Amino acid sequence: MNSLFESALITAVIASTIRGTTPILLAALGDTYVERSGLLNLGIEGMMVGGAFSGFVVALKLNNLFYGFLTAGAVGLTLGLVFAILTITLRVNQIVVGLGLTIFAQSMSSFLHRVIFGNQFPILFGAGDTSAIPLLSRIPFIGQGLFNQHWLVYMAFLLVPALYVLMYQTRFGLRVRAVGESPWAADASGVNVNRIRYYAILMGGLMASLGGAFLAIGDLAFFVPDMIMGRGYIAIVVVMMGKWNPAKVCFGGLLFGFALALTSALQVAGINISPDFILMMPYLVVIVALLFFARSTNLPSSLCIPYKRGGD
Amino acid sequence: MNKVALADLKPAVLSIFSILCSLITGGIILLVIGKNPVVYFSLLFAQGIGTSLGVIESIIKMTPLLIIAAGLLPCFAAGLWNIGAEGQFLIGAMLAGWAAPLLSATLPYPVYLVAVSLLGAAGGMAWILLPAILKARYDINEIITTLMMSWVAISLVTWLVKGPINDLSTVPAQTMIPFTRIHIGFIIGIVTLLSMHWVIRRTTLGYQFRVMLANKKAARHAGMNIPRLTVYGLLISGGLAGLAGVSDVLAIKGLFQSNWNPQYAMAAIPLVFLARLNGWAVIPLAFLFSFLAVGGEFVARELGVPVFFVHVLEGLTLLFFAASQYFEKKWGSK
Repeated sequence: MNSLFESALITAVIASTIRGTTPILLAALGDTYVERSGLLNLGIEGMMVGGAFSGFVVALKLNNLFYGFLTAGAVGLTLGLVFAILTITLRVNQIVVGLGLTIFAQSMSSFLHRVIFGNQFPILFGAGDTSAIPLLSRIPFIGQGLFNQHWLVYMAFLLVPALYVLMYQTRFGLRVRAVGESPWAADASGVNVNRIRYYAILMGGLMASLGGAFLAIGDLAFFVPDMIMGRGYIAIVVVMMGKWNPAKVCFGGLLFGFALALTSALQVAGINISPDFILMMPYLVVIVALLFFARSTNLPSSLCIPYKRGGD
Repeated sequence: MNKVALADLKPAVLSIFSILCSLITGGIILLVIGKNPVVYFSLLFAQGIGTSLGVIESIIKMTPLLIIAAGLLPCFAAGLWNIGAEGQFLIGAMLAGWAAPLLSATLPYPVYLVAVSLLGAAGGMAWILLPAILKARYDINEIITTLMMSWVAISLVTWLVKGPINDLSTVPAQTMIPFTRIHIGFIIGIVTLLSMHWVIRRTTLGYQFRVMLANKKAARHAGMNIPRLTVYGLLISGGLAGLAGVSDVLAIKGLFQSNWNPQYAMAAIPLVFLARLNGWAVIPLAFLFSFLAVGGEFVARELGVPVFFVHVLEGLTLLFFAASQYFEKKWGSK
């Protein structure tokens, strides 16, 4: 009996680690390219909230999950475009723009949520369906946890090798790294610095929004305004820990997914700790992780510095 | 002479312009959701600054903004980004709520006020100490660490208040300026704000902060101790955020409740940017922001426009302000 409970718990922890990792991983993979190209996007938290909210509303109203994800993607691209116009074309302070975008997207979501739903928090039935992969999902212990997941989970993890190859084996990846490291050299060799940065931030916005949407309509099936709870900033940490390498970023994401999963597993297992106390854990993990992994970071040299031909 | 005055006005014009743009955009949003923006804004202004109650409420609400903004001034002037003032505020408020009933009975009144204030400020400083050390020693991004500490604080104070220090005894709020509900926190706010304004402009410490922002390498070569300055800058802002928490608990609430998080930092950060690190300019802007919040609450009940709309306006203001910096550069180059 006891061992049965334990194996069920292990499966549940694996499954919720993977699920908890997915939104952070999606946002972090996109942000890997954003930071590599020399942009610091503090609007990522707002992009995730915006994606979660818009995806949820459209999925609920049209009763179609796919349109929900589509809308979230469009919102992410739009917010990314706003960030790009302000920071790349107009070259204004990225930190101010990022914070402004986050405050705007967060409060706009709370505002519209209240306008549309009042004090109700409707549940989206049918969200969070998983698709089991035949055979693999029947492996004992890990099968159900790893191979019976939402389609976006598979996509997020498949994107890791894909984006790794894109970063290190393609011309586009080389250019992204070049414009973040020495934009003037990239410019001199004929690369359109600003265009590459636009591509990177649009991709970052899209993936952050999809990550947020996954939380609302892939995992939980409801939306509450403060549901992202700093995951966007955690994604930035994960990127720094992963040293701007998609493969390492994946491990960082899993670390936080695991911390989040433990948070709920400890409660399920009936360990007598207050949930408020357990809720602190992921954030403490972030700080400890930064202490261990991010001490000697080689930030992309031009991070947070707008590029202008011929200097300022 | 005339020319100089015009150039001095430029920042003010751009700040006002970005506020106007955000109000206009806000009006468009109201139109889209089917509310009449003219009615909304006229009610907002009528309730917010048309009545003495509105004005007094706004002044009460701007007090924590002033104190937090005072701390952010030297911090931002040094290019240090304390984004987690919310956590430091809550820790200060929680400590005040815990200590006030204990100390008010035993200490003479003025001593008690000072003791609780110092305790809250120390709490805020303690809460930013780790991010400060990490930044100073290992150059770990303080934006991330202060934010994470802020999330930890939200859970920690909830846990503490529900459990270990559960205490519903209140202290009477009795620090009023005669005939109003405005409390001495407001005066403390103005004084700290203007002294920080003075510190960053007229003292060696402030000068070092400004050099640090302009050129870290130059600062190091000039023999400035960058790690120490980093810790000082962040501690000042953490301590004042903690003090803001004390002021709200002692003068208004009388106790610290769980799940009480007024999110003042979210408004304080934009307004310090809008004021361009000018303490004098923070005062009218803080009044504007808190009047929007107070008026927004009144109007929310009457017109059914959710209070969050005020935060939408704050976010928009920050974005328009960012955009206005571009035009300022353009003007400057002419």
